[in-house]
Amino acid sequence: MSKITTSQTIGPFSHEALQWAVDAARPDAVQVDGPTLLVSGTIYDGDGAPINDAQIEAWTPQGAEPQQMVPGFRRAPSGEQGEFSMRVTALTGGSGEPLMYVTVFARGLVKHQFTVVFLEDDLGLAQSCILNQVPEARRATLLARKTGDGQYRWDIRMQGEQETVFFDYV
Amino acid sequence: MKFDLIEPGVYPELVYPPYKSTVKRGPLQPMLRIEAPLPVTQNIVAAPHILLPNDADLTVHGNGEPLGEKIVVTGRVFDEDGKPVRNSLVEVWQANSAGRYWHKKDQHAAPLDPNFHGVGKMLTDDDGRYRFVTIKPGPYPWGNHDKAWRPAHIHFSLFGNIYAQRLVTQMYFPNDPLFDYDPIFQSIPDEAARQRLVSRFSLEHTVGSEMLGYEFNIVLRGRNATPMGL
Repeated sequence: MSKITTSQTIGPFSHEALQWAVDAARPDAVQVDGPTLLVSGTIYDGDGAPINDAQIEAWTPQGAEPQQMVPGFRRAPSGEQGEFSMRVTALTGGSGEPLMYVTVFARGLVKHQFTVVFLEDDLGLAQSCILNQVPEARRATLLARKTGDGQYRWDIRMQGEQETVFFDYV
Repeated sequence: MKFDLIEPGVYPELVYPPYKSTVKRGPLQPMLRIEAPLPVTQNIVAAPHILLPNDADLTVHGNGEPLGEKIVVTGRVFDEDGKPVRNSLVEVWQANSAGRYWHKKDQHAAPLDPNFHGVGKMLTDDDGRYRFVTIKPGPYPWGNHDKAWRPAHIHFSLFGNIYAQRLVTQMYFPNDPLFDYDPIFQSIPDEAARQRLVSRFSLEHTVGSEMLGYEFNIVLRGRNATPMGL
């Protein structure tokens, strides 16, 4: 039997403790040299109700710069309507790589969930090593839809027809 | 670094009806186990300036001493090979001695303590050790069911050395009578896994007449870490 320390929910009261990283990830606080993209979305439960106390984290190693508190790391709490947004460094085109590796935490979620976000207009999607391991019918849950210049929409669904694909890594 | 499959029972059940909010929030599809892409195993390193001078002493953030029992909590963070996880960020947060969080959404009718906010952070040292000084948190009611009271606990957030080691959990105190009635604790099927979340009283880490010591060691996922510099 594995001897790892198991997980427990983040609960509803993490925000004060984790605020330093939210502040550090504000668009005016994140100093990045390259072009950035804004990914916005909403996190929903199995009834389609917004989750208003989630913590969303993003790992974007392409945006790691030494002046950041934790280079490449972003954190955003969801708002009262379940909304969140992240500004991250763009990937160079046609990569087939995720724009960001995302970790989802929430009250009622007893273990964090790992997922990834690709851009729908990434020309390398067909060659993506990760996407090719995902059943075709579920791949759309990992694609952010372009909504404007440098802006994308990506929602998280914890359950249901469009349940987001969550990963365990080997 | 490799991540062995975790046997059923070690992690809590994602949908565990006695903990009501899991029912609509826990994913129903099994996690998709895939080859770890490179970025998942890249080092995640906090800058030293992340730490403020008193981040590891939660009792010195007001104009006076907080109320309650001052304690020290310490432990080592390891990977699954037993190697220390060094220079990794640990965040903690907790209720005050009356069971009230410094948080706008906490409606528990227990007093706030102006001298205790209950948040801290630190980096593990070369032995993987963390250590912080705090006030023993109180139990609190949470409305999940009739007479639902959480056992006293401290929330831990660990970054490990690589992204895929991330963990958020809760540390409990020995012999809490509320364990048997707490669906969050009981959502973990495996008894040994539950017990690994319970800290141990430590005379060794007790500081004279100032504070009792509690030890809580943590094992993060991952083995076969590449030595630094290779």
